[in-house]
Amino acid sequence: MTDVLDRLKNAIGSARRRLASVWRIARWEAKRSVGTIDRRTAAFGAIIIVLTAAVVGSVAVAGSAGLAIDRDIYRVGVDADNPYYPVVAESSQLAPAEPNQEALATGDLDVLINHPGEDVVTWYVAETEKGSAAHSTLVTSIDRYNERRMADEPNESAAYPVRVDLQYVSRQSDATTPGGSDDGTQSDRAAEGGSADTAEGTDTSDSSGDGTAGAASDEDRSTDDSTGGSIPSIGGQAFGGSQSGSPATIQPPFPFGSLLLAFIFLVPMNFVIQAYGGTMLNERINRRGELLLVAPLARTTIIAGKTLPYLLAAIVLTAIIAAVVGGGLLSVLAVIPIALGFLSATFVAAMIARSFKELTFVTVTIAVLVTTYAFVPAIFTNVTPIALISPLSIVVMDLQGEAVSIGEYLFSTGPFYAGSAVLFVLGSGIYREEDMFTQKPIPAKVIDALNAQLSGYASVGLWTALFVPFVFTAELLAIAILYVAPIELSIPVLLVTIALIEELAKSVHVYAGYARSRFERRLPVTVGLGIVSGVGFFLAEKFTAIAQVVGLPELAIGQAAFAPTGLTPTLAVGLLAAPLVLHTVTATITAVGARDGRLVYASALVIATIVHAAYNYGVVMLYA
Amino acid sequence: MRSDSNRRPPRLTIARRELRMLTAEKTIVLALAIQLFVAAFSSFLVVGLVSLYDPTGADGYQIEAAVTGDAADELLAAASEHERIEPTAYNDLAAAQSAFRTGQADVLFVATWETDPDATADRLRVTTSVPESNVETTIIVAETRTLLQTVERDLRDDRAASLESQPLQPLGEREGNPYYDFTYTVLVPLLVLLPAFISGSITVDSLTEEVERGTLDVLRVAPITLTQIVDGKAAAAIVIAPLQAITWLVLITLNGTPVANLGWLFVLASALAIGIVSIAVGTALLAADRRSAQLLYAVSAIALFAGTAVLADGPTNAIARLAIDSADTTIYASVAVVVAAAIVAYGGVRVIVSRVDPNEL
Repeated sequence: MTDVLDRLKNAIGSARRRLASVWRIARWEAKRSVGTIDRRTAAFGAIIIVLTAAVVGSVAVAGSAGLAIDRDIYRVGVDADNPYYPVVAESSQLAPAEPNQEALATGDLDVLINHPGEDVVTWYVAETEKGSAAHSTLVTSIDRYNERRMADEPNESAAYPVRVDLQYVSRQSDATTPGGSDDGTQSDRAAEGGSADTAEGTDTSDSSGDGTAGAASDEDRSTDDSTGGSIPSIGGQAFGGSQSGSPATIQPPFPFGSLLLAFIFLVPMNFVIQAYGGTMLNERINRRGELLLVAPLARTTIIAGKTLPYLLAAIVLTAIIAAVVGGGLLSVLAVIPIALGFLSATFVAAMIARSFKELTFVTVTIAVLVTTYAFVPAIFTNVTPIALISPLSIVVMDLQGEAVSIGEYLFSTGPFYAGSAVLFVLGSGIYREEDMFTQKPIPAKVIDALNAQLSGYASVGLWTALFVPFVFTAELLAIAILYVAPIELSIPVLLVTIALIEELAKSVHVYAGYARSRFERRLPVTVGLGIVSGVGFFLAEKFTAIAQVVGLPELAIGQAAFAPTGLTPTLAVGLLAAPLVLHTVTATITAVGARDGRLVYASALVIATIVHAAYNYGVVMLYA
Repeated sequence: MRSDSNRRPPRLTIARRELRMLTAEKTIVLALAIQLFVAAFSSFLVVGLVSLYDPTGADGYQIEAAVTGDAADELLAAASEHERIEPTAYNDLAAAQSAFRTGQADVLFVATWETDPDATADRLRVTTSVPESNVETTIIVAETRTLLQTVERDLRDDRAASLESQPLQPLGEREGNPYYDFTYTVLVPLLVLLPAFISGSITVDSLTEEVERGTLDVLRVAPITLTQIVDGKAAAAIVIAPLQAITWLVLITLNGTPVANLGWLFVLASALAIGIVSIAVGTALLAADRRSAQLLYAVSAIALFAGTAVLADGPTNAIARLAIDSADTTIYASVAVVVAAAIVAYGGVRVIVSRVDPNEL
């Protein structure tokens, strides 16, 4: 008993010592990196920021409403005495030009508005995609122009004869359908006591007693918004709730405002990883990191200590942004895994890059890739559940005031957490003298990194399992890319892509092990490795059950990705073994190929992919 | 052989060495490939975005509308002008609601007249219900807006006598792609500016790395000046930026989005690269070490980007208008100004370089 207690005490003591070391290194790192920014740099930076703020501010104050990027992109031929001239002149996207029929034909004009008689207006549109886009912009500008003029009219009921209440109603819900009864109350109210409702936008929020709490709060928000002005604010009401106002104020649901705000969270990450990648690579230049390496500290302690200040900086910046744009704790919680993803990828990049130049390139690439991965799916928040593969979708939902379930949070952030952890572990494998201070080719370092994690059969299975988040992420990215393609094209391409991703994940470390002669070349050993890898994959893949909790496989294309996991309820128990057999067979094929160099391994990978894709095709056909 | 290489201008030698080093590190090629993929991917997604969010993208798509209430006739009259909305009148509110709930109708309009004691005429109040969270919701709402705007216009026409100024008639219906300009105003400027920023970053790295590793000393014993070294390094960085930009633009063109004025864009991209690389050289030589140089450079680059984005006829706007083929003389003049500014900037930086004492770096 006391033995156990002693051991526990020892463990706590060593953990505490370790944390203290981490903290010491973190403090040292923070002091050093702040110290390198001397006064002159800080002064220059401050001057530049002040100058920028002055330029941007003065331009904004001068009136040309902010961004000028889409100014005058369409040219409209219109005379100065044409009644439509002010429409074109006042629109920032349209530029007035000399009306000229020939210019329209040559493409120098996109739209031509003629004014041959007193009340006669004729218009021509260039027969190009640009021409019709310009025409659409013109029609929108006419609407806006009319709205502006109507706002000055004294007779309100003539200027705004129509008032719209737009509400989003859930139809899938049960028989009680709160939406339906909402309609009833509202139209009753409108019919009997509409006189009480002025343009101030009194709404249904008080009568929606039978709605859910979430819906009610949404309506409260939108009511507040429409009281402030007839134009809906960008933050709150892109989706859900209701809108009120004249027809022109209705905004189709497009979470653009929240999306832009969510994007702001990603911007500071680029600075943080720049600094972080710099300090990590710095350790490798002129053997500077040797002192830390020979110190009586664990590698993980050093890495944790050096990473902590940057993670904290990212969290603090995120919290500040959240406070400014109106996000809550949930936004911060959703951005933390993205920050970890940025940092872990940069860590690995700094471990394998050979120069600052290379690191800059790789850092930019990481930034672009992670940003794309986080941002693009978030565009489709509320359009399709696939959007949840990005934690940024959680931020968008948070900014819109929507409820996020624990399952949704885990689904979108889980792969990021797991993936970051794996990358940190892989990178720390080559945080050692022979890799840090030598100029090895990158593939060799990647193989070193993988090989460093292997020890026996169990480790192969474990690492296959650890790759599953990456497989998951890569597959979801593939789905996101192919989502817009026609289904006849996307399904077959997806089947092959998914097979290739999975086969690569099951075999790349086996190949690394053989390349560094870690494993015996005897066939039984090879087959054993293949089986272990296949089983590891099979077990880990069961985590895609999380995906089913969220309801992703409701999409046809989601089915193609996850049906092979064999979680479909209709599947008989006997058939449950099929995926297990498949994974072990293909993993064995690649393991055998991995013994004999790159070329044989590549061929084996192709064969395994074909087998796997054929199997996937069979499963899809079975359920189609 | 030796005499041959001696005769080659030293600047060119350094520039070639820089370029060779960039291509020798295959990761850079890989990084470029990934960036290309992202560029292709994002323009592809723009297309996807349009097909999802653009009502006109769904050809032949019909929206079934349930219309009820004492003012239903106004909506039915307006709907007859719209091809995409197929209205059905219901006398009974409950029947209309159940049609909406069961999915027979995509949208429910409850139109009632509403008396406003302050106003001279009644107001039309339309309570519109649309299904929540659905890909089609966007299309339904966009079409609903168009329909209700027609209703509004008809009523305004009826009440024209009470209006001081008459609203302008719309010139036809929106048929074009509302996101057509997105590629030109956001994506193309990004693809032109990003390589220039990367080039500047490479220049900072290349110069500060030589200083930090102490390899500049080796270069200095060679019979060349610091200005020549900087010239060579800057030239290499400047050359690759417009090449990347034009590659991306050609790729976008192949992807189905024509980009016009490639020649002018090449000139503009080169000038921007020269200007940004000048800033990079300046920060690399003035700042204390690599990290502060990179920080200063990043802040300056972002400042420059923000500054030009708000400037009318500025570089960002010029890129968009050249690419979309709406450039006029002011844009050509703007390109000329950027070229002149870039040359002045580089000249200024060279003056700074010539005054820097290499031994103090």
